Amino acid sequence: MQTVFSIAIDALAYGMVLFVISIGLSVTMGLMRVVNLAHGAFAMIGGYIASYVARDLGLGYALAVIAAVVITIIIAIPIERLLYRRIYGQPELTQVLMTIGITFCIIGIANYAMGPTLKTIPLAEPLRGSVDLGFRTISIHRLFAIICGLAVALGLWFAIEKTSFGVKLRASVDNAAMAAALGVRTEIVYAISFAVAVGLAAFGGVVGAELLPVEPYYALRYMVTFLVVVSVGGAGSIPGALIACLLLGAIDTTGRYLMPEFGEFFFYLAVIAIICVFPRGLAGRIK
Amino acid sequence: MTLAVNTQTILGRPRGGSFRRDLMGVAVIAVFAAAGYILFPDNLALLTRILSVALLVLALDLVTGYCGVATLGHAAFFGSGAYAAGILSAHYGINDPLLMTLGGIVAGAVAGLLCAVIMLRAHGLPQLVLSIALIYLFHELANKASSWTGGSDGLSGIMPDPVFGLYEFDLFGHTAYFFGVALLLIAFVLLRLVVRSPFGMLCRGIKEDPLRIRAMGASPNAALAKMYVISGAVAGTGGALSAISTQVVALDALSFTQSAEALVMLVLGGTGSLFGALAGTLIFMLFEDYVSAANPFHWLTMVGALLIAVVLFAPKGIYGTAAAYFTRRGEANR
Amino acid sequence: MKKTILCGIAALALSSTAYADVIKVGVVGPFSGPFALQGKNFKAGIDAYMALNGNKVGNDTIEIIYRDIPTADPAQSKALGQELIVKEKVKYLAGFYFTPDAMAVTPILKQGNVPMVIMNAATSAIMKTSPFVVRTSFTTWQTSSPIAKVAFDAGVKKVISVVSDYGPGIDAENAFKTGFTKAGGEVVESIRLPLATNDFSPIMQRIKDSGAQGVFAFLPSGPTTLGFVKAYNDNGLKTAGIKFFAPGDLTQESDLPALGDAALGIQTTFHYAVSHDSPENKTFVDAAAKAIGNKAELSFPAVGAYDGMHVIYKMIEATGGKQDAEKAVDAVKGLSWTSPRGPVSIDPESRHITQNIYLREVAKGADGTYINKETQTFEKQGDPGLAAAK
Repeated sequence: MQTVFSIAIDALAYGMVLFVISIGLSVTMGLMRVVNLAHGAFAMIGGYIASYVARDLGLGYALAVIAAVVITIIIAIPIERLLYRRIYGQPELTQVLMTIGITFCIIGIANYAMGPTLKTIPLAEPLRGSVDLGFRTISIHRLFAIICGLAVALGLWFAIEKTSFGVKLRASVDNAAMAAALGVRTEIVYAISFAVAVGLAAFGGVVGAELLPVEPYYALRYMVTFLVVVSVGGAGSIPGALIACLLLGAIDTTGRYLMPEFGEFFFYLAVIAIICVFPRGLAGRIK
Repeated sequence: MTLAVNTQTILGRPRGGSFRRDLMGVAVIAVFAAAGYILFPDNLALLTRILSVALLVLALDLVTGYCGVATLGHAAFFGSGAYAAGILSAHYGINDPLLMTLGGIVAGAVAGLLCAVIMLRAHGLPQLVLSIALIYLFHELANKASSWTGGSDGLSGIMPDPVFGLYEFDLFGHTAYFFGVALLLIAFVLLRLVVRSPFGMLCRGIKEDPLRIRAMGASPNAALAKMYVISGAVAGTGGALSAISTQVVALDALSFTQSAEALVMLVLGGTGSLFGALAGTLIFMLFEDYVSAANPFHWLTMVGALLIAVVLFAPKGIYGTAAAYFTRRGEANR
Repeated sequence: MKKTILCGIAALALSSTAYADVIKVGVVGPFSGPFALQGKNFKAGIDAYMALNGNKVGNDTIEIIYRDIPTADPAQSKALGQELIVKEKVKYLAGFYFTPDAMAVTPILKQGNVPMVIMNAATSAIMKTSPFVVRTSFTTWQTSSPIAKVAFDAGVKKVISVVSDYGPGIDAENAFKTGFTKAGGEVVESIRLPLATNDFSPIMQRIKDSGAQGVFAFLPSGPTTLGFVKAYNDNGLKTAGIKFFAPGDLTQESDLPALGDAALGIQTTFHYAVSHDSPENKTFVDAAAKAIGNKAELSFPAVGAYDGMHVIYKMIEATGGKQDAEKAVDAVKGLSWTSPRGPVSIDPESRHITQNIYLREVAKGADGTYINKETQTFEKQGDPGLAAAK
């Protein structure tokens, strides 16, 4: 029984970290219809900035998180204006080509500028160490990640479903021409959504750095995982992404505990099974 | 989500000239092959590698360009072909290159059928993810079956006999190169026939509007599955060529990276046209070889810049955009 | 068509004489991609050797040509090897970080009349594939066997082994198991993880449940190692007193700053530590740190490359710059010298390097950086892997 609880906690923590990092991708792919393979690259940029601020400048974790989100967005704005704007509404394969190109460039630059070693982000004092839950110990940081995941999920759900911006966003997604005709400035809506998605990526990159350490190859190494999680959930759906992360996190964790030798098999078989049952993802919108 | 890759400009030619275009295509490949041989006699290993990857990209074009199936897992067939050819030689002592190639073709086709059964259950993004899951499963399987495949150390001990008992596979790679050129030419001619046949037209129709095809009484899934098998066989040929020419097979032949690279090459050249696939492979691999030799440490940035530039300036792919440009010019002159 | 990278261009310009030959050495390694750091170390080791010993042997100038293979990709490796031999006319091939890459090239050595000096690839079996291969790095068997004795002597009788599911991982598992059971201990469980494992918490739970007193681990360096060591601490295994043993790949110096305090006290056995105390090593580290630009990035492939260059220089001396693979390899059989890692020699039988293996413990150095502190020496270790493979 103790083991079951223990696995459940691990699964929850892992699933939440996945969620925090990949939810931004769900926004770009589901709401903006851009297959953004450079998502991991933005998460990586966030991680690098946080590492620089917290470790090299010694300014503390909270500031590092804020700096990572803000600066990553600032970096992303010209990229959005110059490159992404050209691929809105283009065929997916063109988007894939463009965003892979961007990823390659960012990896190359990161490797050149920051060197190929792993970068760590020193945690704030209260987040360090582990707590004893009675039946096992778990690092405080993981609990923090779980809370972050819940906060992000709630915040996004609220923004999309309950605010006027959310209404405009959904309108622009469903029919951009009509929304524009009704006075919604779709370009601005897209730019803001993109900024939010990138900010979330950076945030996820920092919060998840304990599990997915920052290094130049980060952008490609975890790209597939993010893509899989978002698609299984159904792009654009926040509850879908949350369920997918928790489910896949649970399957992955349990598989690794019970039969580590076949961990990979479990994960991908589960993905195939889920998609065969839900061909549009767990909560995919019918298009 | 459908893959609305614009190919009409390339394909909407009058049918009368198609046979001439086939001959021209064969001639162009032959000229390029001869030019490669004469101009770069010391780079035959690279050129042979390009040939084998070109077969993979052609195969990918069949399902992605002609049928609109997005996949990031096509190396599964390439790898199956490579391992089949390799295992035939290393474990069973079947060293005849033609038999090894046949083994690769069969293995690729079987893998294609297997994947089609799963792949055709979804569309768009989930389908893409299915293909990713499949390629990882293939990869893990090959890693686990290390007594057969050599696992991560790679399968070595592949000793192909001389072709027809006459032409030995040598250090300079002459034989491998000509063998590869022959395979590519045969595959190209056959594929031209396939894509122009009523079956090929049906597939293109499925890409444009599967509902209408179903209304016409044809089964989209059956046609797509058939195309998958053909595509698997072509990719398997490429894999076998790779196994025969390099005499070693490793897990990377079955990897996601290989699949993704193939897709990048295809889109770079232009989907929905066999020439686009060939052009994309040639340009990407030569470019990569050149920049990675010029600066082995930071060449990835250059490749990234190339991809971005292609999207910005040649959104239909390099071949697709060039073809569209010449068609327009031709029309303007008329 | 291709730009070659000249090393020591200034020296070349000053000293090139009309009759001197240029001897090209082709180096294949991961210079970009996820293992770029290791490739960078190859270059640092080579640069360091050439900075200290000049770029000339006799009248011949040595020129290095680098070719990149980001990940294990034998088909590409073969193509590059062929190109280097046929087109660039290199007289020596060197480098090779991954075993399959080396294996792909060995069959063409004979035809090309070119010796190969492996600067890293660590599977024992490579040496059997061609008589023209010499290795100056280590094998996983060589570095993993002594730790079994260390573990047993530390009073640990039950160990669980956790390795990544790929060639080197399986080698390490077998080497440890063989050594540990021979010493009288018991390996209670052997776990093989997929390479792409991000979250190690469930594994830690499994280790706890197995009742082992110690864990033996082998994972590829980089993010996986970091994740594993962090999970080991976070899940309370360290405080529970479960001891951690590994070959030194796991605590390579370039990963130590990221591992930080989490790694303190981990015991590993390896052939080289950057902190090794000897005048030869001091000279080497200074030169290599200058070559790589940042001393914190320096790690074990650099020393393999440095000694690899030493072997190549000796080969060139012996052949007088003529292309004769057999003579070159024969000349270095039995060669012994003092490497930055300590006394080493090339075993005439296997052509693999015989060297000291050190037991090290991760500790904080005098200047606050983390180091692998050598605490015990196992002298003149050969490669037990070849014998085991038979």
